Amino acid sequence: MDALVRNAWLVPFLPLLGGLIAAVGGKWFKQQSHLPVVLGIGLAFCVSLVLVASVGQTKVAPVPIEWLTISGLVVPIQFQADGLTTMMLAMVTFVATLVAIYASGYMAGDPGYPRFFAVVGLFVFSMTGLVLSANYLLTYLFWEGVGVCSYLLVGFWHSKPEAAAAAKKAFLVNRVGDVGFAIAIFWMWVTSPTHDLSYASFLGEGNLEHLKVAAPAALIGIPLLLFWAATAKSAQVPLYVWLPDAMEGPTPVSALIHAATMVTAGVYLVARSTPLMVMAPGVQLTVSAIGCITALLAASIALTQTDLKRVMAYSTVSQLGYMFMALGAGVKGVTEFAVIAGMFHLFTHAFFKALLFLSSGSVMHAMGGVIDMREFSGLRHRLPVTHWTFATGALALCGVPIFAGFWSKDEVLSSLMLAGKTANASEGSGWGWAYYLIYGVAILTAFMTAFYTGRAYFMTFWGPERLPDPTSAATHHGSTEPEAVHHSGGDAHGHSADHGHGHDSHFGHESPPSMTIPLRILAVCALLVGLIFGPSHLFEHHLKQTAQLEPTATEHAIEHSPDYVTMVGGTLAALLGIGLSYSLYFRPSPVPGRLAGQFRPLYLGSLHKFYVDEFYTWLLVRPTQVLGLTANFLDKYLVDGLVQGISWIPRLVGRHLLGPIQNGLIQYYAAVTALSVGALLLALFLLV
Amino acid sequence: MPNDFSFEMLTNYLLVGATLMALGMLGFLSRRNLIVMFLSAEMMLQGVALTLVGFGRYHGNWTGQVFTIVILTVAACEASIALALILILFNRRSSLDVSLWQEIREPGQPAIVEPESQAEPELAVAGPESYPHLLTAGIEPPHPTGAWSNRRD
Amino acid sequence: MDTLSRFDLINLVFTIVTGCCGVYLLLPHSHGRAKPILAHRIGYVFSSLSLISLFLFCRTTNVEFVTKAFFYIFAVASVACAILTITSRDPIHSALWFAAVVLATSGLFLLSGAQFLAAGTVIVYAGAIIVTFLFVIMLAQKEGRAIYDRMARAPFLATLASFLLLFGLLLALLGMRGQPVMGSGESKNITYPHRVVSAAERLRTRNQLSSKQILVLTRSLPASSELPESRLQNPDAAPLASGNHVASLGWTLYTEHLVTIELAGALLFAALIGALAIATPRAPVRPTMGIVVNAQPAEAKVS
Repeated sequence: MDALVRNAWLVPFLPLLGGLIAAVGGKWFKQQSHLPVVLGIGLAFCVSLVLVASVGQTKVAPVPIEWLTISGLVVPIQFQADGLTTMMLAMVTFVATLVAIYASGYMAGDPGYPRFFAVVGLFVFSMTGLVLSANYLLTYLFWEGVGVCSYLLVGFWHSKPEAAAAAKKAFLVNRVGDVGFAIAIFWMWVTSPTHDLSYASFLGEGNLEHLKVAAPAALIGIPLLLFWAATAKSAQVPLYVWLPDAMEGPTPVSALIHAATMVTAGVYLVARSTPLMVMAPGVQLTVSAIGCITALLAASIALTQTDLKRVMAYSTVSQLGYMFMALGAGVKGVTEFAVIAGMFHLFTHAFFKALLFLSSGSVMHAMGGVIDMREFSGLRHRLPVTHWTFATGALALCGVPIFAGFWSKDEVLSSLMLAGKTANASEGSGWGWAYYLIYGVAILTAFMTAFYTGRAYFMTFWGPERLPDPTSAATHHGSTEPEAVHHSGGDAHGHSADHGHGHDSHFGHESPPSMTIPLRILAVCALLVGLIFGPSHLFEHHLKQTAQLEPTATEHAIEHSPDYVTMVGGTLAALLGIGLSYSLYFRPSPVPGRLAGQFRPLYLGSLHKFYVDEFYTWLLVRPTQVLGLTANFLDKYLVDGLVQGISWIPRLVGRHLLGPIQNGLIQYYAAVTALSVGALLLALFLLV
Repeated sequence: MPNDFSFEMLTNYLLVGATLMALGMLGFLSRRNLIVMFLSAEMMLQGVALTLVGFGRYHGNWTGQVFTIVILTVAACEASIALALILILFNRRSSLDVSLWQEIREPGQPAIVEPESQAEPELAVAGPESYPHLLTAGIEPPHPTGAWSNRRD
Repeated sequence: MDTLSRFDLINLVFTIVTGCCGVYLLLPHSHGRAKPILAHRIGYVFSSLSLISLFLFCRTTNVEFVTKAFFYIFAVASVACAILTITSRDPIHSALWFAAVVLATSGLFLLSGAQFLAAGTVIVYAGAIIVTFLFVIMLAQKEGRAIYDRMARAPFLATLASFLLLFGLLLALLGMRGQPVMGSGESKNITYPHRVVSAAERLRTRNQLSSKQILVLTRSLPASSELPESRLQNPDAAPLASGNHVASLGWTLYTEHLVTIELAGALLFAALIGALAIATPRAPVRPTMGIVVNAQPAEAKVS
């Protein structure tokens, strides 16, 4: 209904209002600043539920506000409420509400409390605006918005140099991707005959056919550039380096931004541009391949990390790789199945990854700011709620049947298999073997995922009960490890975040209800969401009500039977991984150490994140610093010198040339006057 | 007739007046004695007065003379105050030299001290040794033998 | 300047150049190793040459011989004494030469019919001002010739400046020669307007009336604007009987230039007070416990 869609603007606006109230009224609200924001996001969730229910009636509703009107470029503020959008909206607002409630407990006592919630409100506004936009330029606007909010939130404790550096890194790496997005938009505008950048227009059949004829290069370039932007935002190779560092921010931020919402923006963009992607199978294969490489790389790094949050961060990167693998498998014939599989994984991942991050935060909260897994163990009795919620999330992540992750991961893998089959079929591109390879690597990655997740779980909650020393917790620097030399924020210090506010009262105890209730809710979701929406095809039907994901006439939807092979294979990989981690980490043993010693080069490589950060520093950061130094030198000595030289002229003329005329002798003054009068007189008489 | 005052005559007067003015200015600019400087200024006023009187005579009205009277008055006032000031300045530094008063120069400029080598060598003034030596009264002094123009060497 | 003939120009340049050199040599400063006496003599020579050529510019046609002679005497005397004033080494000599200048100038005043002014100048200038000067010199002069009397400041620059100015002035004056200011002929028969000898005047001289009564009577006299101001404006008026020069001057002063007179008087008064205030050194009396501290008059604060 038009009326409802016209009220879709409420969804971004309500959190923004909450954020503004928290920002402006922070001085008076102080520690109650979470109220307007939680309320705003909660109401936005209600509205988005309504939108979900009413999807299908209308797809696009332009809000009659013109944003840009330059000659030839008209960008109205358009919102749409189709299947994809409403699914994302509901998911984002739901997780955001829970995270905001959690944060009200986690951040209690922090002096920047109002600022935190103000930026959270702003972030939810940007994210919901991003998914609601109906044209590329508006999406780009909100894309930047989430980038800024990510910077503000990751660098929330800005006085901590690592946090500030991490925030800067996140923003700058995102900028690198945004350049791609911008160039893609320019290209789009140049090549489209109507200069209309809305999804409906640009991704419509007619436009794409026109592009195939008029600008075939654009058909490869634009999707590639869009994927480049998604690489930055969704932390794929080569632009994933910011996400592990972003763990310097508070844990609710990690849960919200780096698990459920912001990093999914890239996936959303690629999914939205599906019709465009379909026209370029090579690009799709690239997407899949990059997703695969990323998943493998991140999983192998996560194997050896000792910081619980870093493990979760690399896990996120890895799972995002899964999503891209699925999206890239959307070759002609399998398109909407694969894309919907990817989006389903995004959906379930949001829940269980947010859950995992929030429980890690709960652990950190109880351990007085210490998150190094070597410092504590056996917490299952002290933190019961955290324990079973973490377990739920871990099982979901591993892909154990019934839990949410199982269904979505299974669909991702099946789509890869199908893509391989389709590609090897008569009209395929012949790259089927690549998809099979990716499939195999995905199974391997599933095994690794289960292993490191189990490792994290067992190291934290099982074994003898050990707590870190509370007095030294605040100044803990357990850094005899080699990773201490990494200064770019990627170090696994035992103390990954400042919790300067008094935790002695909470030390070793379970978190307050404001933190445990969201955990419980998310645990229930992680258990049930896949079951409810997956096999019943509810999700699929909902998402099919998107213009870009409708099956086209030329496609023949492949009727696929449930892929039991993949199901069994995935489950086996998960169980193997969990079993291996159980055997190694259930009780403290020297076996992991011996294994690490035997595979020392691999171990060190994994521990040091394969030296990617160092490579980037050498390749990009150092030249930029040299450039900066040169510019500084030129500015200080050339430009400033020139300016000072110019300022030196009046001083010269005044003090050294004309100054001596004022020598204090009155007769001299009179003589000069007389001379001038005489000269003037003569000039008047002789020349005039 | 003494009443003839042609334009040429006026020009003559003006010439003299201009000359006096210029010479007065020269004296003001070049001498270092405060008194002589002031005298030169007065001389400039004389030149001006002469010009005024000439014009007044030429046009046949009293205005020239009236204004010269005013100049006279002003000169008198100026003289009194200037001399009072000169006295005070002399009291400060015990010298009538105008070079001593240079403080209004630009800060940072050095004081201008002219070297003494620029001064004219002093002509020897005959001292007491050249005075005629008088004998005690009542005795006839010796009569000079040489010409009277040779008395003072 | 088209009206300047070539002779005039050469003469002018000659005058200025010789005058410049002469005065420069005469000014007191060191001439290097040359003897000062020699420099002075050459300076005198040059100055005289310059004087002579300057007075070659004076044209005195249609003038009586006596007038001409006296004019030249007074004019030459004034300029020559002026040169001597500014180049004397002794300030007392300067003052005396200046007195001579004043006398010569008064002579020139006399020649142009300003008798009162001539007398007034002599009395006030030569009599009062120069005497005051001499007193101050007496009070302030050090023993012997001071160094600053023998050293002129920047003689070349000063001479150049002054003679440049003189050059300009002479150029201007000589260039105007062909064009009289008020073009009504060369020779003018003008008299100063004398006050009409009226009945009231005769009354006073005969009957010794008080000035107040004169005032009442003279109110009935015609207004000064009705008096024949000058034959220039009223060439048909008959030349008046020779009246009292001083009286006429006084009449004009107090009727037309009353404000000027009053202002001059006020100025004199102010100068008087100013001079008194400046010149008397006062020792500051500090009322501290009855002890009076006398500062030196020389260091007394200028009030």
